[in-house]
Amino acid sequence: MIEIRDLSKKYGTKAVLKNINLRFNSGKVYGIVGENGAGKTTLFRCVADLENYEGKIISDFEPLKNHLGLLPTEPFFFPKITGKEYIQLLCNARKVKIADIESKNIFELPLHQYAATYSTGMKKKLALTAVLLQKNEKFIFDEPFNGVDIQSNIIISEIIHKLRKINKTIIISSHIFSTLSDTCDEIHLLSKGEITKTVQKENFSALEAEMKEVFIGSKIEQLELD
Amino acid sequence: MVNRTLRDIGILPIFAYPLLTAGFIAISFYLFKKIEYAEYFYLFIGCYFVFKLCEERRNDFLKSCFGNGFRKIRVTENLIVSIPFAVFLCFEFFFIAAVILLTLAVILAFVELRTTWNFTIPTPFSKKPFEFTVGFRKTFYLFPALYLLTLKAVSVNNFNLGVILLMFGFIIIMNYYTKPENEFYVWSYSLNVRQFLFEKIKTAILFSTLLNLPIMLILGISFDQNIFILLLFLAIGYASLIAMIVTKYSAYPHEINIFQGFSLAIGIISPPLLIVMIPYFFIQATKRLRHLLK
Repeated sequence: MIEIRDLSKKYGTKAVLKNINLRFNSGKVYGIVGENGAGKTTLFRCVADLENYEGKIISDFEPLKNHLGLLPTEPFFFPKITGKEYIQLLCNARKVKIADIESKNIFELPLHQYAATYSTGMKKKLALTAVLLQKNEKFIFDEPFNGVDIQSNIIISEIIHKLRKINKTIIISSHIFSTLSDTCDEIHLLSKGEITKTVQKENFSALEAEMKEVFIGSKIEQLELD
Repeated sequence: MVNRTLRDIGILPIFAYPLLTAGFIAISFYLFKKIEYAEYFYLFIGCYFVFKLCEERRNDFLKSCFGNGFRKIRVTENLIVSIPFAVFLCFEFFFIAAVILLTLAVILAFVELRTTWNFTIPTPFSKKPFEFTVGFRKTFYLFPALYLLTLKAVSVNNFNLGVILLMFGFIIIMNYYTKPENEFYVWSYSLNVRQFLFEKIKTAILFSTLLNLPIMLILGISFDQNIFILLLFLAIGYASLIAMIVTKYSAYPHEINIFQGFSLAIGIISPPLLIVMIPYFFIQATKRLRHLLK
């Protein structure tokens, strides 16, 4: 469980998150959606304790950060470190011993090449593999499907299903609604730093329709394509 | 770019250049006064700086900016870097070494060293990334050169040169700790701040011992009568490395600032100061990392 109580975050005078109250239970997958700049990444950084904030974040695992697997939107890699060494580094950091990293390479990445030379999708898959091998209890995946090929998209979705099955807590952000509707149990709509809507699985299609209406409106007609 | 870097660390270029010149002259005098056959070491350092300019991506950038004229720029750059060394070599009557250095500088202006090879440079440090894994891959070629020069120091019965080479080995390793890593790589550790810093120090001591072991063995066996002096310099090397690590994290997530850099330099020059400096910067580092490591 992760519980967020009255979370607010400001950068200078600009309020980025306003009075957020959320609860993420074990064995559930939560989606956070919102336009660019809505505050999704800031919210994740607050949960991960990478940012100072007002309010409280409570978890059944303390300190939460030591049990949290964070997949950043754009993972950072050192210039001369191989994929295998990156996994080793992150596992060492959590004192997790992995006997045979190659056998866990489900995305078939070139683990002996420098990670910085990987494509965007490969980097994402490498970072995800490392976070999964850290044996975390909670997961935050910021745009896990971004830049990833179709086969890997399917694998990632299955991984998320599996994590839910083994009672982990998973929070995902994505701009691809279909991936969220496939994996999530609950979706929170974040707009201008506030949670404006929470939708359960049975109402996802209605949410999608509503989002289309709100975000698209008559914008396509402005292009005068026909 | 040099001016911009100097301004970034808070020194006005107008002050920096005279200071650098004075520092260069003072260190050069010190080296030639203290060690016999200093010309080998001096030549090595000169070549090292010239090699640093040969990096392929840097050359590509110059090529794209200046087109065909970039070779002239490269020759000029290499000469600017090597001439001070050559002048001092001539001043000390080592004309052949000066000619070798200048010739190499001109030749190397036509060489582009690739740093982004398709193959991965093997490293003995891959089980414990990242400082030594990355650092070794960037500087691996320097260590065989240091080992050979240590053998030369033994062959000319020059213990001081050997000790300087050992310290240079430590300086290369300290260089692995100059840049602050992305906060994600600190945050990921499930250690508290003290455990994190001790872990970094433990790894640095272990791996620096491994890299400097050939130099230590060659000097220890060949100059067994000076073993205590050797051990003293070894302790200074380790202390400097520890000082580097705690100073780096005392500035984290920023780069080491001018005060910290200056303190570190003073500490390395006057090692007894490290006894005060290390705990001071350790406490500062603890404060800096507290928000990332619970």
